[in-house]
Amino acid sequence: MRAEASVVIIGGGIIGTAIAFYLCKKGMKDVVLVEKSYLSSGSTGRCGGGIRQQWSERMNVRLAMRSVKLFERFEEEIGMDIEYYQGGYLLLAYTDEEVELFHKNVAMQQEEGLDVRLLSKEETKEKFPFMNLEGLKLATFCPTDGHANPHLATMAYAKAAEKMGAMILTHTEVTDIDVQSGQIKGVLTTKGYIKTSVVVNAAGGFSREVGLMAGVELPTESYRHQIFVTEPLEHILDPLVISFVNNFYIRQTKSGNFIMGQGDKDEPPSHKHDPSWKFLTEMTEKMPHFFPFLKEVRVLRHWAGLYNMSPDAQPIIDKSDKLSDFYFAIGFSGHGFMLAPAVGEAMADWIIYGSPEEVDISNLKMERFSKGVSREKNVV
Amino acid sequence: MTECDVLIIGGGPAGLAAGIEVGKAGLKALIVDEGVRFGGQLVKQTHKFFGNEEFYASVRGFEIAEKLLEELRAMDNVELMPESTVIGVYEDGVPILHRPSDTTTLLRPKRLVIATGASEKFLQFENNDLPGVYGAGAVQTLMNQFGIMPGENVLMIGSGNIGLIVSYQLMQAGVNVKAIIEASNRVGGYQVHANKVRRLGVPILLRHTIIRALGKEEVQGAVIAQVNDSWEVIPGTEREFVVDTICVAVGLSPSAELVSQAGGRLQFISELGGYVPVRDENMRTTASNVFVAGDVSGIEEATTAMVEGRIAGLSCVKDLKGITDEKRLKKFQEQLRAFRSGPTSSKVRKGLEKLNLSFPEKLPRETAVEPSYEAYKGKLRPIIECSEAIPCNPCETSCPFGAITIGENINNVPVIDYEKCTGCGICATKCPGLAIFMMQEKEEKGTATVGIPYEFLPIPSKGDQVYALRKDGSVAGVAKVTKVVKAPNSTTVVYIEVPLEEAREVRHIKVVEMKPEAIVCRCEELTVEDVEKAIEEGYTDFEELRRRLRIAMGPCGGRTCRLNALMILSRKTGTPIEKLDPGTFRPPVIPTTFKAVSKSAKGGESSEG
Amino acid sequence: MERIERHPILTFKRGKKIRFFFEGRELMAYEGETIAAALHANGIRVLRYTPKKARPQGLFCAIGKCSSCLMEVDGIPNVRTCMTLVKDGMAVRRQKGRGEFLD
Repeated sequence: MRAEASVVIIGGGIIGTAIAFYLCKKGMKDVVLVEKSYLSSGSTGRCGGGIRQQWSERMNVRLAMRSVKLFERFEEEIGMDIEYYQGGYLLLAYTDEEVELFHKNVAMQQEEGLDVRLLSKEETKEKFPFMNLEGLKLATFCPTDGHANPHLATMAYAKAAEKMGAMILTHTEVTDIDVQSGQIKGVLTTKGYIKTSVVVNAAGGFSREVGLMAGVELPTESYRHQIFVTEPLEHILDPLVISFVNNFYIRQTKSGNFIMGQGDKDEPPSHKHDPSWKFLTEMTEKMPHFFPFLKEVRVLRHWAGLYNMSPDAQPIIDKSDKLSDFYFAIGFSGHGFMLAPAVGEAMADWIIYGSPEEVDISNLKMERFSKGVSREKNVV
Repeated sequence: MTECDVLIIGGGPAGLAAGIEVGKAGLKALIVDEGVRFGGQLVKQTHKFFGNEEFYASVRGFEIAEKLLEELRAMDNVELMPESTVIGVYEDGVPILHRPSDTTTLLRPKRLVIATGASEKFLQFENNDLPGVYGAGAVQTLMNQFGIMPGENVLMIGSGNIGLIVSYQLMQAGVNVKAIIEASNRVGGYQVHANKVRRLGVPILLRHTIIRALGKEEVQGAVIAQVNDSWEVIPGTEREFVVDTICVAVGLSPSAELVSQAGGRLQFISELGGYVPVRDENMRTTASNVFVAGDVSGIEEATTAMVEGRIAGLSCVKDLKGITDEKRLKKFQEQLRAFRSGPTSSKVRKGLEKLNLSFPEKLPRETAVEPSYEAYKGKLRPIIECSEAIPCNPCETSCPFGAITIGENINNVPVIDYEKCTGCGICATKCPGLAIFMMQEKEEKGTATVGIPYEFLPIPSKGDQVYALRKDGSVAGVAKVTKVVKAPNSTTVVYIEVPLEEAREVRHIKVVEMKPEAIVCRCEELTVEDVEKAIEEGYTDFEELRRRLRIAMGPCGGRTCRLNALMILSRKTGTPIEKLDPGTFRPPVIPTTFKAVSKSAKGGESSEG
Repeated sequence: MERIERHPILTFKRGKKIRFFFEGRELMAYEGETIAAALHANGIRVLRYTPKKARPQGLFCAIGKCSSCLMEVDGIPNVRTCMTLVKDGMAVRRQKGRGEFLD
């Protein structure tokens, strides 16, 4: 184990590994990433793997569009197939409110240069004849949205970073951050002390706890979100389909499994990982209405992960104003995977050059919360 | 039922035993099983169980299942739910999938007994997924539960008790076991089980492994090879077996996923087969409301599974009612200790130690002093060929005269007192290892009567001639059946007369079943049917038939068969017999020795040397 | 792969004779047999072909654990035939690939 590092990243999920990769790629070699379990063992490995650009908040759209650019180059750049597939995202609108919002969103997204279009019920039916579209008022479709395998993407970043000189410490838990008179001196782990002056908190569901180790109060809270896959079937569903009012998302993986989930307003904040039967009964009751063939399909596996929520359901990408060189990329609110490439790149730029180069992330700083909150609406 | 005190998952030996204890205490229990029938692996076991007679030793597995189920069905407070799977243990309940109706029911039981058993280990070799490659459990299911032969010729992989028992069962069902292969340098299972298959003539090839299954759509063969000390294949030792079935019996791994979901901690313990639940001597897991029993808590056998089930059941009763039959609980715990104290349980003991469960080893008596041969020869008496310390005592408990002693340690090998023995032969029918034979020497005749425990069809009758097979399966000769003693447990003792010098070797018989056949050719055992079939195939000339069937090529020189064959040929082809070529009549007309021919002298000359 | 008629230890109590269809072919089974067992009794051991490599698969564990025996039964794919009872008139097909619900 290295006793000293330029940067210590806490968290071996997609965010931490992406930051490690871009730091190395941009020339910083003595990076140490500390993960308390295995890579992608937290929220990343438990997520749905969707990659979408259709957001209601402009900053999210930009970040996501930059990410998609990087995902498109991923295999070429990193040399590993991560099952990236651009089958699009189909967003379904069922209420007048949603119709209005979708029109507004699409206009804004098109302004940002995104290839996204409105689909009437009939057009939707023609494209996806196997869906029951009863009650549908409108849909939006972005063909360059898609999905990838989060495990593979995390592994790919980590392996590539390691090759360039980073040290990835798995099954190593950070127990304390050594702070002396406003300066980070090092990180104490279960495998020993690492001397460093720069720490990145990419701890996902445990971002708040890691913040407290450095004495920094972070406004994130974790909530259990459940998800399941069915047995694999022949491929029929290209896009990831979302309905916000009906509270679901669904996609078909490359191996043929349907993966789906929903949010639960009543879920209290916790670090719970156990799935509930209630979730499964609700989902299995709800989903065949929209996808009638699902009735006879079998549930294969069911699990849960954490949404690390920020007050406005948008990520917090910032550095502490109290403590020098304590960075954080946290509070992704359930969509960290898809933003990871852009965030990793921006964070690395910020650490190395003092400012993000490719994409403006200034709106994602903590200071926004003191001005009042504009919440991301396109969230399941 | 939507409410129950105890939900028991798995209706095998452990689950059923737990159900009985819970039921007896008046608590409401639901036993759920995935299979179409209750009893788990018991329903597939046709062999008599080892162990203590108090615990169904010497009773066949499927009969044990019937006994347990009978007891449970008489209880109103115990419900049995077949074809149902507990699909998870959730924070908000335990859902059960009833497959035939494709519905789920959510239960919130006060206690869970997880007795989900184990699943077959899958061995890696080329084409191991070809249809015709079965786990040993699947072969037993097809054969013993549904009465369907898995194939005609089988290669068995693994010589543990399961591999040996299933091989024997295959032979009983009329399936041919070509060989049993074993990668290590010794047979894994009990000696008595190995002896049972060896005397059927099934070779056990040690230090051999399977390399690949042959066949495109289904198994048509197998390639095996020898392995060296590091278990690597020795090049050049590959050989092929023509088989249509490969049976994999390389062990089981516990199915503990529900325990983990219920919050119970699992630990990898290779001696117990894989990930097993951490639990205490009362079978309680680290999730306080969850108990385990049977193979899920470590691969062992049905007898210990039943004892563990009883303990788990009684522990649930204690939790829910505040009291339980402590004496009974202690007795079961004592029984487990006794069962596991011998040398064949050393692996299990080692595994349990890692869970901080101590089962002390008690050194058994491993050699029996054989009573003096001279003193008892000529007396009809059992010969006990059981020299391995295994936990088993039906020989002792079944003897009406107290002539056989195992003693306090159930792992002791038996000792017999021929003074007390009357030669009744009950022990021979009871011994689960079929390791007790009857013997009586008749020196004046130079023969001996040997009584053989026999579990095959057909059962011969007194006076029949049968083949006498030795311990290695080789044929010692033909022997006459002198007595047949049938027992209610389907183990028949067949007494045959053999030459005195073979008495300690002959241990099995093979009955030649006489089909009603009309023999045309004695030498080649050809029937009318055989000859007709060949003629239909187009062999319409006697010389052709001769080359096809070897008719008239045997020691009789064609004197028995030639005319018969010609008559059949005439009848079938419509050619009058006088028009048929009778073929050549080759000398000598009687087989003659080399010696006789080589010492031949010319006629008229004196042969005086 | 035929039914055992005589056994030294066991007697097989078979249920009512029923008929079912395999790839459109009518076959006989006994009530109480699983689909996989009934197919074996009729000499059929190839139950499906795998999605990626088209490898034939048969029965392996017979207790619903290994997923080798998945077949299409009455139009529904991925049925574990080792633990599903055969029913009169049932239509069973070899599954090719992952199974489809939309024909």
